[in-house]
Amino acid sequence: MSQPDPSPPPPEPPQDNDFPEERQLLPSFGSVKLVWIVYGVFALLLLITFGFVIFQPIKVLPRVRLAPGYILTDQDGNQVNNEQFRGKLTLYNFTYTRCQPPECRQFDSIMKEVQDRVGEVETYDLPVEFVTITFDPEHDTPEVLKAYAEEMGADTSTWHFLTSDDPKQIRRVVGTGFQVYYKERAPGDFEFIPTMILVDGWGIVRGIYNDRIYVADADRILSHLNVVASEAAFSKGANRVGYEAAHLFLCYAD
Amino acid sequence: MSKKWKWILGIIVVAIVLFVGAYLVGVKLRPYSYHGMVMQSTEPPGDFTLIDHNGNRMNLSDYEGKWVILYYGYTFCPDVCPTTMMQLGRMMPLLGKKAKDVQVFMISVDPERDTPERLKEYVTYFHPSFIGLTGTPEEIADAAAPFGIYYKKQEVEGASDYLMDHTASVTVLGPDGRVRLIWPYGTTSEEMAEDLLHLMR
Repeated sequence: MSQPDPSPPPPEPPQDNDFPEERQLLPSFGSVKLVWIVYGVFALLLLITFGFVIFQPIKVLPRVRLAPGYILTDQDGNQVNNEQFRGKLTLYNFTYTRCQPPECRQFDSIMKEVQDRVGEVETYDLPVEFVTITFDPEHDTPEVLKAYAEEMGADTSTWHFLTSDDPKQIRRVVGTGFQVYYKERAPGDFEFIPTMILVDGWGIVRGIYNDRIYVADADRILSHLNVVASEAAFSKGANRVGYEAAHLFLCYAD
Repeated sequence: MSKKWKWILGIIVVAIVLFVGAYLVGVKLRPYSYHGMVMQSTEPPGDFTLIDHNGNRMNLSDYEGKWVILYYGYTFCPDVCPTTMMQLGRMMPLLGKKAKDVQVFMISVDPERDTPERLKEYVTYFHPSFIGLTGTPEEIADAAAPFGIYYKKQEVEGASDYLMDHTASVTVLGPDGRVRLIWPYGTTSEEMAEDLLHLMR
């Protein structure tokens, strides 16, 4: 049976002469593949950027503005200044003790809840302090503030109630500095926008809770304390690039 | 034999590409990392009015369009202020042509002792373009608080002179008056110049 195969015989596999094959493969490594690898690197870069923007692996809070510098007097008559809170997280609120509940106590109770629950939050050993500044210094003397703090059950080891014997200083700090709106409608009766402000260890405002920017609630503020503390703890070396990118791409915490 | 060469060549090419890629990502495309703290303020902290070292009244807003650097100190300051002022003075030549777009102010936190004449002599020693500012205690308080600056007189035991305790950081304002950077005490002139040139691009 020596009938010839109708189909052409398969080409003989090259035995020992793979030289031409090599010649053919060389340029594919040299040019084509190189181009694809370069494309690959750029695609990966783009993907990382898009991934960063979409998935926001790092959440930050914006560095809104500088918190004011000040010297004020606390509930025990001691002088307190903003430099004492450098390297700590500080939560501020603003009130006056003559304000009738329930109108005014809401933000005080949020402060109280945050102070009571601050142990639940990982702040990487960053201390958290609380400051309440009155905008009614003529009535809210240190003694009045002390009674107010006691009535509220505030822990005054980390919660400071501040006033000043100079009403101008209060206006400078609360009005101009923290940009909190308040106005004396009638003697002893203030119109104001209840506000809480989170300041980082650099003295920079990181969160404003006044129902316009963020609604004030203890859960959110507690989680924000962790966000700011995490940045302070981890934004170093190569990680800093990631954190700065998060600022650049506005990956802000809810 | 030839397969081996192919592999070796392939590995070399991949290694080169990875190396170049890593270099590009790591060095060229990496976002610039500032030495100071970058701010994202959307509006200026506010104007102030003081007296310059020639005795003329000035407003901060007069300097809109310039990169304004604010440093709060006093001429009797023993250590912190001269160090920072010297770094600022050395920064100026490092800025090259861009130096003309930068105005450095030293605002006195000790108006009791810092007369305009004394301030002039002090600040121009560090750089001829520097301007010293002073005013009434009230005006200085208004100019310091919005920039997060605290200061307080410190009586020294047994001495007739006193020291001022004050915030030692340096504030950089953009041409629109917004706060752009905060340099902590200890930032060097090279770091300042690098940050500023990057901001001014």
